[in-house]
Amino acid sequence: MTNLASVRSGPHEIDLRAAASYLAKSTRFVPGQPDMWAFVLFEALVFTGYFGIYMVHRTQNPELFLGSQAQLDLRIGVLNTLLLLVSSWSIARCVRAAREGAYRSALSQAYLTLFFGIAFLTSKVFEWSREIHKGYTLSTNEFFSFYFFLTGIHFLHLLIGFVVLGVVVYQLWSPARRSQLLVETGATYWHTVDFLWVMIFALLYVMR
Amino acid sequence: MSSPLERIAWHWRHNAKLELWIAWWAMVVFYQLYGLLFFVVTRVQPPPPAWWDAPTVVQWFNDNHYGLLVGFGICFLITGMLGAVNALLAYSMRRMSVSPAFAYSYLLIYSLSAVPGMLLTCVALVVGAMRPDRNPELIRWLYDFAFMAFDGTMGVFLIGSLIWMVAILLDKNRVFPKWFAYLNLCNALTEVVVAPAWIFKRGVFAWDGAITWWLDMVVFVIYTAVFITLIRKMILREDFGTSALPDLVEPEAAAAPPGLVRAER
Amino acid sequence: MNARFEKRLLLAWLALSAITIASLWVGSLDGRGGLSANAAITFGVIAVALIKVRIIFREFMEVRHAPVLLCRLTDTWLMITAVSLLGIYFVGRATS
Repeated sequence: MTNLASVRSGPHEIDLRAAASYLAKSTRFVPGQPDMWAFVLFEALVFTGYFGIYMVHRTQNPELFLGSQAQLDLRIGVLNTLLLLVSSWSIARCVRAAREGAYRSALSQAYLTLFFGIAFLTSKVFEWSREIHKGYTLSTNEFFSFYFFLTGIHFLHLLIGFVVLGVVVYQLWSPARRSQLLVETGATYWHTVDFLWVMIFALLYVMR
Repeated sequence: MSSPLERIAWHWRHNAKLELWIAWWAMVVFYQLYGLLFFVVTRVQPPPPAWWDAPTVVQWFNDNHYGLLVGFGICFLITGMLGAVNALLAYSMRRMSVSPAFAYSYLLIYSLSAVPGMLLTCVALVVGAMRPDRNPELIRWLYDFAFMAFDGTMGVFLIGSLIWMVAILLDKNRVFPKWFAYLNLCNALTEVVVAPAWIFKRGVFAWDGAITWWLDMVVFVIYTAVFITLIRKMILREDFGTSALPDLVEPEAAAAPPGLVRAER
Repeated sequence: MNARFEKRLLLAWLALSAITIASLWVGSLDGRGGLSANAAITFGVIAVALIKVRIIFREFMEVRHAPVLLCRLTDTWLMITAVSLLGIYFVGRATS
């Protein structure tokens, strides 16, 4: 390998150490639009607000919350979490594939993400109808108010996620578009749906 | 150094953006007054509880009697200023590269929304305060009606926020930054969160609840402060088409060729 | 280099999934089938959830390769959430 320190380029000498340090700094990048990150952090803070309020009410009425929590099926909760985790994995792989120009592969990863998202949706609807069938609704007691509220507002975010995935697929489809920025932005949003669920799962299904 | 009067006279005659600034100041003044009237004079915000019985409600009306009458009296006078707010927001959409349909639908929706969203509440509460010797159950009815009209009509604001969001996302003239589009989404989502107020009379989901009102109000105040600031920046940047168009192709739109390490973003 | 990234992503996903499946046995940790409040379990559950979210941030959302400011912002959110949730929980337990 050439001794880089002695490379010259025309009349201008490149300061290679400066160049190397510039490259090292600039290979750090913000995935997707920074604007989407602003949204992610803001929305995450709003959810922390919801979680905090939930926690306050839970500590005021621990027996009620524990007893009602026992009516939930932990296995469905685990399945839900696994579905979203694998969907996050596939959208992350989609971003990597798109970055390398493997758009066929990126598109199939995006479809896979969509599939897992729909599986989550189906599972959630199934779970809700089971709970309602057992007689637990939004106004049954405080725990179930929070349960339906938190899972409901998360569900809304999931539905928006489908629109976002639609944008991602639309971008990946035709060579005329394929904006890496938009694909990454979409993926960032989808991961948010995932990590918000991880928190909701812990607080509603698992904590004691 | 010319006197303030001379400067005002000059601006009145020569400033091309005069109408925009008048509208912007009307917006700022309106929101300050709105805050003062609703939070301090009439004490309608934060809202009193939904579960109060009739005698307690009558007591609340008596305690706030003059506040309600004076505060909402002033409100009736200044509600028209909302027109300036809606006009500026619609104007911002007209400056975008998207279809004028966005601006017009926004204008229509928000013009209609002031009726249930604010005026009905004011009317109901003033009617309640007007004759303190009315049947307590009737007064309680007016109380419920007022607060439900205020909180329950969020659907209009939800759609309006979404229209603005889509317009900003599709806009190529970069009138607003994309993060503001996403903030519109946050605001829209908090409008949805108000929906349980129809069902619950107590707790966090009632119209005075921690989630339905307090958290929502925090997001709404941030949202309002942000859009007032962004519209001010927009008016400052306004050039009435006299300068060059921004690059229609965004620099990030081109995908990196495969295999290349991205050196800059 | 790409294979390394792929492998790292796969490992992150496997770890997250394993932790999630392990929560099926949380109820049996205190021997009472999970119908009683348990501060240690709750502390663990919330801490583990935040660790999972951090893994999602750093590996899936590529915060590892992002400018330091983004790392700090996401970690700050994790801190705020940890402090509020655990704080409310323990203060609530102490005062109820």
